[in-house]
Amino acid sequence: MKSISLYVDKDTCLTRLHPFAKMFYILAAVSAPLIGGALWIYGLFLAISLCLLISGKIIRKVFPLIAFSFTIIITIFLIHGLFNQENQKVLFHLGPLVFYEEGLLYAARIGLNILNMLLAFATFVLTTKPADLVDDLEQAGFSPRFGYMISSVFQIIPQMMGTMNTIMDAQRSRGMETEGSLFVRAKAFIPLISPVVSSSLINTRERAIALEVRGFDSKNKKTFLREHKLAGKDKTFMLLMALLIAGSIVWRVLTWL
Amino acid sequence: MKNLFKTKLNAACFVLIPACIGINYLGKLFASVLKLPLWLDSIGTCIGGILGGPIIGGICGAANNLIYGFTTGDSITLVYALTSLGIGVAVGIMARLGRMEKLSGAILTACVAGLTAVVISTPLNIIFWGGTTGNIWGDAVFAWSQASGLPVALGSFLDEVLVDVPDKLITLLIVYAIIKGLPKKLTSLYELDDEVASLD
Repeated sequence: MKSISLYVDKDTCLTRLHPFAKMFYILAAVSAPLIGGALWIYGLFLAISLCLLISGKIIRKVFPLIAFSFTIIITIFLIHGLFNQENQKVLFHLGPLVFYEEGLLYAARIGLNILNMLLAFATFVLTTKPADLVDDLEQAGFSPRFGYMISSVFQIIPQMMGTMNTIMDAQRSRGMETEGSLFVRAKAFIPLISPVVSSSLINTRERAIALEVRGFDSKNKKTFLREHKLAGKDKTFMLLMALLIAGSIVWRVLTWL
Repeated sequence: MKNLFKTKLNAACFVLIPACIGINYLGKLFASVLKLPLWLDSIGTCIGGILGGPIIGGICGAANNLIYGFTTGDSITLVYALTSLGIGVAVGIMARLGRMEKLSGAILTACVAGLTAVVISTPLNIIFWGGTTGNIWGDAVFAWSQASGLPVALGSFLDEVLVDVPDKLITLLIVYAIIKGLPKKLTSLYELDDEVASLD
């Protein structure tokens, strides 16, 4: 069964870093450029993310993610470069198309923001096992019921994908067409999705009974098999990120004065 | 009216949420396998809202985007957690008002859900993507509106309406068909006015 998580099982210092420290990095990487407001801060965080990804030996896994967002970035560049409201200064001509400076600057800001968010999330997503994240969240006082909810998503989806393939084969062997014109494909959607949805909803009943029998609604305090606390290394990392956010605030204030 | 937001937070509801998130994922997957020009990624959220009420619907929607954002690296999805939350709550409220009993009510619910999605998504689109939605048809309209000198907010709004309302309409029609086919044994788990009677 294929997991939907992108976690790469490698024993690097980035993987060993506490999930909270990595989440704090995302917070810093997303908020600092927005607070600071200058384009070079995006560049700084892009560089930090790339360094972290290289040190975690997962840089190659990031390329498919970037490739996916590139189509969106290109649309943004085209639409704003050509048609932005504030366009005045012509930058260059590309055949019959005229690109303007203001629109392209605006698009560059949005494009950098997307790339920055993507890379910051990649450092977290590729190095954190969902089960570990849920465990750490619960140890920090997160409700175990919600913890169950998150971890069971990862069990349910591969199961549902299995059911989906079975149903797709079953319907095809009955002569249903899944390829062809838009109308044919749209018609195929309902006979495919409704059996999977109904059967998974019906399964929830048994799952709920099984959980209740095992004391899911019990109010007692839960204990943990493995205690995982923030180490000194994690705290240093978080302190560094806090300094970066503070730096961006200082920069903003200085540019205002 | 009093029961509009009343929610039972028992094991049945906490099992429903992951199932709904899974259904959202499947809907999106089927739509991309069949190359349909729609998202269809809120089927589960709507089912959660109808069975469990507005609060469960909202949790389904928000948790759906948060979980995918934090595990599949899809930070684009993460931004729209608020939109999904809105859709879940809107559909939940409409269902509690008894609108999902008939087909005409389902269509009305779809319009309400679609407009909720548009109102929440438009500012997010403008802040994060400068107004585009990533859907070819919608973005073509946005490009046209920008070329003809309309303000960004209006262009983005039209872009979102064109994509979201038909998407939610089809989603809720599918959901309506599915909900009608569910056994009473299952739906009774989520009914509010059940009572435990003792036989002795």
